[in-house]
Amino acid sequence: MVNSENTKAQMRKGVLELCILSILSQGDAYPTEIIEKLKETKLVVVEGTLYPLLTRLKNTGLLNYRWEESNSGPPRKYYMLTEIGETYLKELHLSWYELVDAVNKTITKK
Amino acid sequence: MNKTVTINISGIIFHIEEDAYDKLSKYLNTIKGYFSKADGGSEIMSDIEARIAEMLQSKTSAIKQVVLMSDVDFVMDNMGKPEEFAGDEQAHSQNSSNSDYSEYINNEPVKRRLYRDGDSKVLGGVCSGIGHYFGFDPVWLRIALALLLVFAGTGVLIYIILWIAIPEAKTMTEKLAMKGEKADINNISKAVKEEAEQLKKRMEKYGKEFSNMTSNSEAPRNAAEKIIDFFGDVLGNVGRVLLKIVGVLLVVFGIIFFLGLTSSVFGLSFMMDSSNGSEWIDMLLLDGKDFYIGIIGIAIFAGTPIIMMIYGGIKILFKINYRNRWVNLSAGIIWLVGFLMLLYVGIKTGSDFNKTAKVRENITVTNYDTLYLKMHETPVNSQELNFSDNEEEGEKGFKTNRRDNNYMIGTSNSMKYLLGHAQLNIIKSQTDKVELVIVKEAKGGDKRSATERAKNISYNVSQIDSLIQFDNLFKVNNADKFRVQDVTVILKVPVGKVVYLDKSIESLMYDIENVTNTYDGDMVNRRWIMTANGLKCLDCDGITDNSDKNNSDEDDTEKDVKITVNGVDVDNKDVQVKLDTNGIHIHTKKK
Repeated sequence: MVNSENTKAQMRKGVLELCILSILSQGDAYPTEIIEKLKETKLVVVEGTLYPLLTRLKNTGLLNYRWEESNSGPPRKYYMLTEIGETYLKELHLSWYELVDAVNKTITKK
Repeated sequence: MNKTVTINISGIIFHIEEDAYDKLSKYLNTIKGYFSKADGGSEIMSDIEARIAEMLQSKTSAIKQVVLMSDVDFVMDNMGKPEEFAGDEQAHSQNSSNSDYSEYINNEPVKRRLYRDGDSKVLGGVCSGIGHYFGFDPVWLRIALALLLVFAGTGVLIYIILWIAIPEAKTMTEKLAMKGEKADINNISKAVKEEAEQLKKRMEKYGKEFSNMTSNSEAPRNAAEKIIDFFGDVLGNVGRVLLKIVGVLLVVFGIIFFLGLTSSVFGLSFMMDSSNGSEWIDMLLLDGKDFYIGIIGIAIFAGTPIIMMIYGGIKILFKINYRNRWVNLSAGIIWLVGFLMLLYVGIKTGSDFNKTAKVRENITVTNYDTLYLKMHETPVNSQELNFSDNEEEGEKGFKTNRRDNNYMIGTSNSMKYLLGHAQLNIIKSQTDKVELVIVKEAKGGDKRSATERAKNISYNVSQIDSLIQFDNLFKVNNADKFRVQDVTVILKVPVGKVVYLDKSIESLMYDIENVTNTYDGDMVNRRWIMTANGLKCLDCDGITDNSDKNNSDEDDTEKDVKITVNGVDVDNKDVQVKLDTNGIHIHTKKK
């Protein structure tokens, strides 16, 4: 039997970036919040995936962060979109819809 | 009852059961192992630790103060196995060529990056890319470049280097980064401040962790690792600054060398008529084809490393990480080609110096009791000489001395000639006749061609009654090339005959032997008689005999200078120097 789990995981990973940027476009968030939102939609299974990705996006200049004190625990790193990040997200949105269209067309064709 | 350990994660203190601690620290170390090689690894680590602290905090309360094994399991389940999430990201950063972020991942938060702009390009998008980077209209750059083009074409090569060194912005991210936040002075100082602050934070963190470690005396190995990490960080920062300096030096020196090279190469190939260097190379090389092979060979041989210097410097300065293997490979091959070209010309030319030939020409001289030796009235080609820089001041052609032993290049009727100083020697004749021998010397690939070249040297001696006149220089056709040609005139004078050396002949004379060891310069304008022992001056009453003078000089010196165990004592009519236990005393006596 072919293991479809692996393929599904790969697909999730591919769109994770778009999802993170989209979540942040609705407002600044710290990792735990992002994870909770992603978990609702079952996009993330393990949390560890998120941190390297966030750091990478931040180092690319798409994201920025600020520290905020938390009354229960260590200070939180609130991520936000930069201007570049916003432009980049718009670009990703466009190509996402194009991709969805193209994929839908391809897989519904008989 | 279980033993607990106190740990600090992200600044929060936890009491944790020993076995749970072992598991957690092993887990964190594994994650660390995955990220240690990736850049930004320490940041990812601290993010993950912060999240773990948060999770553990949610699991503890005033009643349940201790972190248990089950809590650590909960953390690990939620966070996932390191190989699940870390391996992927690592592969991502290593396999950089197919990633949009490849160029950024290895760098700290870079704002704007240098790319070629393929969207608004004229040629390769170099100017528009640089324009984006520094924030000005690329038109100015293009104008500047066009101007450089006029000046020896320097612009072309610099443009090509930049074209190769700077990658084109292809993906969206690259295009965004190309126009990203400007890297001006404010930003740089901001970045430096941030860097310093980060370093300070890290140092504090290390310090804290270190003191924790030691107080716990738990894992000394870990502490040592932290210290190494810390120094690694500091060294990394220092190294980055040094690297920048190296980059700047490479580019600056590269450009200076490059300008020097282009001007000399272009000077050599396009200003053949006025440049000394090219004329000499032309004189040396067998044919015109060799000349161009040689010039191109020099340009490639010296130019390729210089270009690679600039290329490397630019890559360091603008943090261009992508590697272009064919650039290095083809640079190597081109350099080798240049080297082979030089080798070919060098061997071909060098082998033309293999053999030396001497040709002796006997000139019949009518005998007179006194022979007057003079230079020809009109010097050979002197008015058309191109003087090289080591030529002395004064009248052209005459002033230059045999002793300088330099060759010159002259032109007449647009033909180039090699000109060299001939050498005159006067010796005793074995017969009772005055004899004149001209020895011509040259080198060639074989004896025959060397002899041919020697014969082709033109040098004239003429006699009018008792006056023998010499050419000041010998002349070699450009076709014969420079092959260390030399001319020696030997005048054999029988005993009893007299020669008069005119002042004009001085530049020809080369250590003519005489009984009084008189210098060439003092021999002129005087008559000399050949004796059994050699030439003897007939009207030298006015000047002291050099051989005696030398001796007396030495005697004087001996009298003037006394060196004893007590010191040195110099005393002559001008100066008095005393060196003894009291020090040095110098006293000059004014007349």
